[in-house]
Amino acid sequence: MSRQINIYHLYPSQLNLYGDRGNMLAISRRARWRNIELQIIPIEPGDQINFDRCDLLFMGGGQDSDQLLVAADLKKRQAEMRQAVEIGMPVFAVCGSFQLLGNHYTAVSGEKISGLEILDLYTEAGDKRLIGNAVISCPLWQPAQTLVGFENHAGKTYLGPGLKPLGTVLYGFGNNGQDKKEGAVYKNVIGTYLHGSLLPKNPWLTDYLLTKALEYRGQDSTLEKLDDSTETEAHRAAVYLARSWRHRMRSSRA
Amino acid sequence: MQKDTAKTGGFTNRLFQIKKTGAIVIGKALIAFTRLLGRGGTTLPGRMAIRIKPDLSELLAGQLLKGVLVVTGTNGKTTTSALIKNILKAAGYSCIHNQSGSNMSWGVASALVDAASVGGTITADWALMEADEGAFPKIVQDIRPLGIVVTNIFRDQLDRYGEIDRIQDAIGRGLQVQAAGGFQVVNADDPSLVSLDGLQGKQRLTYGLEIELIEDSFQNTGRDLKTCPLCKKELTYERVYFAHLGHYHCPTCDFRRPRPDVRLTGLTIKADGSSLLTIKTVDKQININSPLPGIYNYYNLLAALTCAVALNIPEATVVKTLEIANPSFGRMESFTVKEKELVIALIKNPVGANEVLRTILNRAEKATLLVAINDKIADGTDVSWLWDVDFEQLATRSEQLTATFAAGLRAWDMAVRFKYAGLDQQQILVEENSGTALHRALQATPPGGKLYILPTYTAMLEIRRHLNRMGYGRPYWEDR
Repeated sequence: MSRQINIYHLYPSQLNLYGDRGNMLAISRRARWRNIELQIIPIEPGDQINFDRCDLLFMGGGQDSDQLLVAADLKKRQAEMRQAVEIGMPVFAVCGSFQLLGNHYTAVSGEKISGLEILDLYTEAGDKRLIGNAVISCPLWQPAQTLVGFENHAGKTYLGPGLKPLGTVLYGFGNNGQDKKEGAVYKNVIGTYLHGSLLPKNPWLTDYLLTKALEYRGQDSTLEKLDDSTETEAHRAAVYLARSWRHRMRSSRA
Repeated sequence: MQKDTAKTGGFTNRLFQIKKTGAIVIGKALIAFTRLLGRGGTTLPGRMAIRIKPDLSELLAGQLLKGVLVVTGTNGKTTTSALIKNILKAAGYSCIHNQSGSNMSWGVASALVDAASVGGTITADWALMEADEGAFPKIVQDIRPLGIVVTNIFRDQLDRYGEIDRIQDAIGRGLQVQAAGGFQVVNADDPSLVSLDGLQGKQRLTYGLEIELIEDSFQNTGRDLKTCPLCKKELTYERVYFAHLGHYHCPTCDFRRPRPDVRLTGLTIKADGSSLLTIKTVDKQININSPLPGIYNYYNLLAALTCAVALNIPEATVVKTLEIANPSFGRMESFTVKEKELVIALIKNPVGANEVLRTILNRAEKATLLVAINDKIADGTDVSWLWDVDFEQLATRSEQLTATFAAGLRAWDMAVRFKYAGLDQQQILVEENSGTALHRALQATPPGGKLYILPTYTAMLEIRRHLNRMGYGRPYWEDR
């Protein structure tokens, strides 16, 4: 019997900035190349969600105006979602959704928007956007692997004392441009500011999510090796660009 | 401010003159020098000139006999302004224009310096300037346009402006600072534009499509703005022409599409690819046989026509000009090189790129494809948008491709994109150097065959430089 995974794609028509489609494509292609049956179930605001059937929850980035709409709707599912996360449901959240998983977001006006309180972090609106290519060293693997992506955020995110970052910033700004931390990991929840799209150029992270989703559903989680020569070259080229003088001169101009 | 001190005469006046002349002379020298190097001289000279004399654009633009027109928006700026320029010329006016998409404030300055005498006088009727959305408020403030044309707002170069909300803000601010007595031409099918105010003492004309829905096979021309710009609830669409352009209303508040002043009411596509358009203005019906293909070009044509209506240009002149319009610089331009037909189509965001792919695939012929992606500032430094382009369409028609090349600084990102679109990894040829890629792609194309080149902006400049060196195509700064 072939293996199966259900991915819940949260609010695809609201949270779809920054090539989030690339992340979904990466997961579904890499599953299909290994004959894993993968179903992507789009969740729209107001839909009933049965988290029991969800093996991986994917949350993308949205523009400011859509994000508020989404926050209000998600708040209604806070309890169920926290429960699922505690028993190990994998979640992958990018940019705006990463902020939304935290305790609160403080807008420029001082207004506090409460988050889902799944990750112990908070975000403050910054005066300057942090923009550019970024490379982090990520300890989800031994030895640590690099992840490369593009960040573009005005919010500055600070992790609580017990919360681990996704990685340490080698090039770029990370969560707040100060503490060298990027993203956050709690149980099987990964939050990050990196897009680019993130997953296609970091195939080991895509495979990590697939493994976690298979495990969560109690299936055989061994993944056969694929020919990743194109992805690896793209990763290498992107790291090279992020390190280059040309790029560092012009990151964050907004 | 410096303008006033100048009038007080004496030493400051002389200093002012020296600075102005200095800025113009240096600007002109740099234009000549960069052209010697085979570059267009559209960025650096203007940058230097405004560094020396920050209000140079204002001084030069103030001398135009008729005034200034500015075209902004995400897509269609270049085609729309080329159409307007041709109309102005056909109506007997002289016109300065910032060619080749150099549309930041320094691009505007470069064009003005190029047209001015060394003494700083300009004797043209009109200046027609394309303005980048982010640079738009500053450009409006500098050169004080009589007329502004706004085409649309799409997701484009998010790294530069943050999100779409911010682009909308920038355009709104530009419309606000326009002086009273002017006019604005705005796309009625774009809800994000219609909601912008900034009308005090100005006239606004709108245009839009009112034809039967054309089926859109491209799944991912996602709507960028789905929420009502006033109350932030979801909009309902009766018709979607592409992305978020269409007939919309908000079920929650009163916001709805206004009835456009200029409407496309009839469309027949003819066998030769041209379109017979029926357009209704406030008081008459016009028929135009347009050579430009695609819905996006109908919008461009309507924008130009509406601007001509605002300027009271005779209808016959407008129709005659629009019927002989050529695709603009880099937008589906073709060359014949060694018996091979080479077509260059600029790509810069998902909506535009999808339109280009659609047009290519509809031609149903075998061709070589070269996609060249750079990530310099003028291209957009974030290449995420590649994942929102429906390259999947290529995989379903892969028998049409003789060879597929990924080129540019981000060649490998593009190669990964092709792979995940479903193309065979072995068939994707990667060459980071755009010039070398051009040569390899030409070699891979048989005589009589076609080569489609889809570059981002700076990759297009590189490829054109190579073509110029090989003796093909005119240098891009030359007037066409």
